[in-house]
Amino acid sequence: MRAYGYLMKMRMLTALAYRFDVWIGMIGDIILLAASVFIWKAAYGGDILGSGASVIGLNGMITYTVVSTLMASVFSTGVQDTIYHQVRDGNIALDFMRPLNLLAIYLSEDLGNIVSSVMNKAIPLVLVATLLFGFPMPDSTIAAVLFIISCILSFLILWLMSAMVGLVAFWVSELGNLGMVKDAFVRILSGSLIPLWLFPEWLQQVSAWLPFQYTYQLPLSVYIGLMKPEAALRGMGVQLIWIVLLGGLLSWIWSRARGKVMVQGG
Amino acid sequence: MSGVKHYFTVFGYYAKLAIQRQLEYPLFLVSWLLMIPTQYFAGIWMLRIIVDKFQPLEGWTFNDLAFLYGLGLLSHGLVVVFFIPTWGTESAVLRGEFDRLLLRPLNVFFQFITGYFNFIGLIDLIPGIVIFLYAAHAVGFNWGLLSILKLVITIIGGVLIRGGIYTIVGAVAFWTKRSGNLIGMTIATLERTTMYPLTLYPYVVQVVLTFLLPIGFISFYPAESFLGKTASLELPVDMTIGTLIVGLVCMAVAYMVFRQGLRRYESAGS
Repeated sequence: MRAYGYLMKMRMLTALAYRFDVWIGMIGDIILLAASVFIWKAAYGGDILGSGASVIGLNGMITYTVVSTLMASVFSTGVQDTIYHQVRDGNIALDFMRPLNLLAIYLSEDLGNIVSSVMNKAIPLVLVATLLFGFPMPDSTIAAVLFIISCILSFLILWLMSAMVGLVAFWVSELGNLGMVKDAFVRILSGSLIPLWLFPEWLQQVSAWLPFQYTYQLPLSVYIGLMKPEAALRGMGVQLIWIVLLGGLLSWIWSRARGKVMVQGG
Repeated sequence: MSGVKHYFTVFGYYAKLAIQRQLEYPLFLVSWLLMIPTQYFAGIWMLRIIVDKFQPLEGWTFNDLAFLYGLGLLSHGLVVVFFIPTWGTESAVLRGEFDRLLLRPLNVFFQFITGYFNFIGLIDLIPGIVIFLYAAHAVGFNWGLLSILKLVITIIGGVLIRGGIYTIVGAVAFWTKRSGNLIGMTIATLERTTMYPLTLYPYVVQVVLTFLLPIGFISFYPAESFLGKTASLELPVDMTIGTLIVGLVCMAVAYMVFRQGLRRYESAGS
């Protein structure tokens, strides 16, 4: 009997430890979020407001930060790590033998991750963020709908960039994981931490011609109502253009990369 | 004494091996060399934007903030060099790596920590040194002998506090078989609480980060004292000594927790 009792206890502990682990991961996100919110509170505090406060108020900024954290916790672009590791370990040759489009496989895996992240991370994050800072209300129902559509386009842009960086491994795998470098740039230039309207003028002009601000800042501005529906639709048009451009570039690199594997002999 | 000397010799060999291993693929360093400095320089640049476009944060001007940020990064960089094995305690437990260490006639904690001298971690020190030197110049830091001594002791104390916290958090894996996410959370917490003034946070958080997890001693309280601000925490001794004592206590507690955990270690299953 004791042996069965032990097995039951171990099984229970394992399951609990797993759940606990998922929660811990979320608490890490909450800490990063809270730190940003308190910085904004200090920045907006007191009677004297700097020029930065003219675009949106503190509440808008907090909503911006909370929703940005949510987006980051859900958007899963494992593709860059997957390709990098498969190339480094040589497993990519086996992957090519699968009777399916490899990039489509990686995309479906990431989409699966997104669905589970919405349940596992986003919902608890919203609950805790609501308790701490109030519910991050969208500007209007239309804003919320446009935000969701824009988010889908954002994810596609992010995913295409990740896949492309992952493919670089076919040529220079000894350079290490360049995906981390790309991630660092995305975090800054996407406006996910600090909105780009606070950046110096010249940098704003440069990033208007880059895809990064269309990944976070655009949907977030739509959500808080800084971008009215007409402007939002125009922005989504730009998102589509980027998806077409990046998609074309990706398929070109992809065909070159396939050739590369054949040359190496797998 | 010969025992201590022996440990130093062993550490030397381990470090040499680890460096050779890491230099096997020198180009591999490139991605780290691009990412780490970008990340930290961007972080300080964003603080600059916020201060410029809004106002000093709780009375901390940009130069003050840079001083705190740099001081925090210095001990962070050294911890990444010397204590990185603690981040991987979970996989070491799961893969049964302590079997090997337990069989050798050397202190297990010592072997575990020195087993991987993370030479690449020196990259984390680059932005730390640059930002600290800039800020020290900007706030008119007095580079006298006493200040330098205080600075060195503060950094050592900070490394001991961080190293102790990571050791304890990592050692949770001895009991639960998991501490990876817990470590990730601790890294995030330490980053956000050592590089920004503690006074940004609610009072409860400040109390927790002073007495429960003594993170405030890593950089915030020492920075206040170096910058000549009104101390948010009164100590009967100089803040430098305080930091060192807290660091030593942290490390001692961490060592005991690690030892207790090791007794629960049951090797890999298969």
